Amino acid sequence: MLESLNLETRNVSRTALLGRDYRGVNFEVMYAEGDQVQAGAVLLRDVRRRDIRICAPRAGKIERIVRGPLRRLVAVQIEMDDDLGSVSHENPSNQDRGTLRRFLLETGVWSSLRTRPFDNIPHPDAEPGAIFITALDNAPMAPEPRPIIDACLDEFRAAIALLSAISAAPLYVCHAPGHALTFTESADIHCVPFSGGYSAGLPGTHIHALCPIGFDGGEVWHLGYQDVIALGHLLLHGAPWLQRVISLGGNAVTNPRSLLLPVGASIDEVLLGELSDSRSAILAGSPIYGRRLAASERFLGARQRQISALEGAAVDAGDAASSNAPLIPSEQLERVAPPGIYAVPLMRALQLGDVERARQLGALELDEEDLAPLSHACVSGSDYGSLLRRVLEQLEGAH
Amino acid sequence: MSIKRSSGFFDGYRGLLGLRLLALLPVTVAALLNTGYQYLTRLVSNPDSVGDDVRSRIARALGAGYADAGVYDWLVAGLAHMLPMLALALVIGGLWEWLIARGRGQPMARGFVLTALLFTLLLPGAAPFYHIVFGISFAVLLGSAIFGGDGRTFLSPALLGIAIVQVSFPNISGAHPLWEGLAGYAGSNAIALFHRGGEAALAGAGIDLGSAFIGSVAGSMGTTSVLAVVIGAAMLLVTRVIAWRLLLAQVIGLIVVATLCNLLGEGSGASAMPGYWHLLLGSFAFGAVFLACDPVASCCTNPGRWIQGFLIGALVVLIRVVNANHPDAVIPAMLLASILAPLIDHAVIASNIRQRAGRHV
Repeated sequence: MLESLNLETRNVSRTALLGRDYRGVNFEVMYAEGDQVQAGAVLLRDVRRRDIRICAPRAGKIERIVRGPLRRLVAVQIEMDDDLGSVSHENPSNQDRGTLRRFLLETGVWSSLRTRPFDNIPHPDAEPGAIFITALDNAPMAPEPRPIIDACLDEFRAAIALLSAISAAPLYVCHAPGHALTFTESADIHCVPFSGGYSAGLPGTHIHALCPIGFDGGEVWHLGYQDVIALGHLLLHGAPWLQRVISLGGNAVTNPRSLLLPVGASIDEVLLGELSDSRSAILAGSPIYGRRLAASERFLGARQRQISALEGAAVDAGDAASSNAPLIPSEQLERVAPPGIYAVPLMRALQLGDVERARQLGALELDEEDLAPLSHACVSGSDYGSLLRRVLEQLEGAH
Repeated sequence: MSIKRSSGFFDGYRGLLGLRLLALLPVTVAALLNTGYQYLTRLVSNPDSVGDDVRSRIARALGAGYADAGVYDWLVAGLAHMLPMLALALVIGGLWEWLIARGRGQPMARGFVLTALLFTLLLPGAAPFYHIVFGISFAVLLGSAIFGGDGRTFLSPALLGIAIVQVSFPNISGAHPLWEGLAGYAGSNAIALFHRGGEAALAGAGIDLGSAFIGSVAGSMGTTSVLAVVIGAAMLLVTRVIAWRLLLAQVIGLIVVATLCNLLGEGSGASAMPGYWHLLLGSFAFGAVFLACDPVASCCTNPGRWIQGFLIGALVVLIRVVNANHPDAVIPAMLLASILAPLIDHAVIASNIRQRAGRHV
């Protein structure tokens, strides 16, 4: 379905599911090391909410199940073997809300939905205030979503139609200006263009503009465009979409471009022969909000759309001199702050760990990626993303 | 853990400090030239007033001639006056910072360099040395260290230092040529001249729009040249260190209230002074850019910046109009607005929180 884009396809031998993509969930692994799985077979199950499942990204043999501190699941690594085939699914028999939700849960697509606040997998019975589809990406060097969506328009439409029927809430497709997207199926589907810099492409910005989160415990759901296409693929072809479009960028990459890669592909294998400097920093994600990964996690994440390799990037792990530096307000901080947020008061509240103040200043609307530009622009060297997560975890406990 | 781009000269906290110092470079050069120029021209008109103080002796030793003085002579005479003052401010400020860093067991903060430079630029070239020791000690200790050092204070330390000196020695004056034309620490008596005789009095003292803009008039060393201040402001605005809203709001406040005074006032004294003279005379331009826009000591919300800026501009004009004894008014107006800044922010944030609470989801 992406043939018209002429993307280079890279095959790798190993793929994985990463635990960090599903923060705060305790998983039961349904297979043991050495077992063979089909693509789309249920691989993980939430211990507390047993309807929530996560399916194998590709077919193959389970090579290793890596667990970290407190036996948290770090990764399930799979040695790929496409001959094992994939699980096929029947399309939902009717458009009843419960049937559709059950379909999403059984196929594991449900786990690509995220709530705001807190960015969790939504509860199967929850009702969102709205559903947001992020159909644009303003991160530097990210793949351009527009040609990808246009090439898979049938899949995209089928998935949107299903998603708009799983709740009574309006569904917003947030897209780049000039990208003509129309959906006639339902009055509840709204296409909204967003223009601007990095933050205009973040769900936090769309949520703030269209369905802001108050203090009454409401939530909205959001979902990325490639996950929507994956759902559409499942609906139209009966089998999971086994690939994702991932861009390779950064000044250490000899030939920056977009690639068609297996879901969860090993980053080390993808980067073989691509780097000009082997000591460069490899980031999962954009240079603004990318993370360095431990060796056992060097696989594409569920919501990851790019790999950045930066030459001479220094990792600032909070050394004594910089963590001691004060927060100096500047005009630059306002420029890169998420819309509707008073940057300096929120940053001060986060530094102090003042949970109530941070909530009042809009922390519930935010996620780590929204604050990444502030961490870059602030001279104090604080990582506001992880400070925000700490505050959100406390708020979640009290919710 | 966050990833930072490779650190250049102007990255991070030290870089920000360097940038703010660099933005003061045009002002410093203008201050050197004008201090020397003022000193030498006063000597020409009154050769007997040549003093026997350290600064005059250094100027003489460096060969600053007052007959047919050129740029070199101005520069040398300016250096002879400014360097000892700056050095003293740096040494005393640094000494306090060092003692405090030792006592707290922390690395020494570098913000005192900026404080010392700003403080020196706010002084007349003839300020007695003990005033400098007194003022910079207040600036570093009460303006910054007591709140935890750089970036954790709520007042601009240099502003506090100069305010303390102004309040403590209001009527200081002396035989030194650089006190001439100054009302003590009030910065410039050009506004007092306007009080008495309007624009004719300014013209009589040789002050026109051009000389007030370039800065070849008597005043505190760094505050006379609006041109140099504009260059420094441009650097700070382009690098997004200071908030343009706060700067613009100050100018708007000044012009609006000055125009109101022109229309409603009795038509004499400073109430008749047009807005552009308010902008050019005294230390408003310097204070607006380098003191009021101190990012740490001003409002940190955009509505708050508009309010604080307008307040400063309005207060400067009002004090100038009603109080002929304190013709400059910039330092007290900015001090008051700076003290109010957290309160203004508090009100703005409270209204933002109310709005957020009223949302539906």
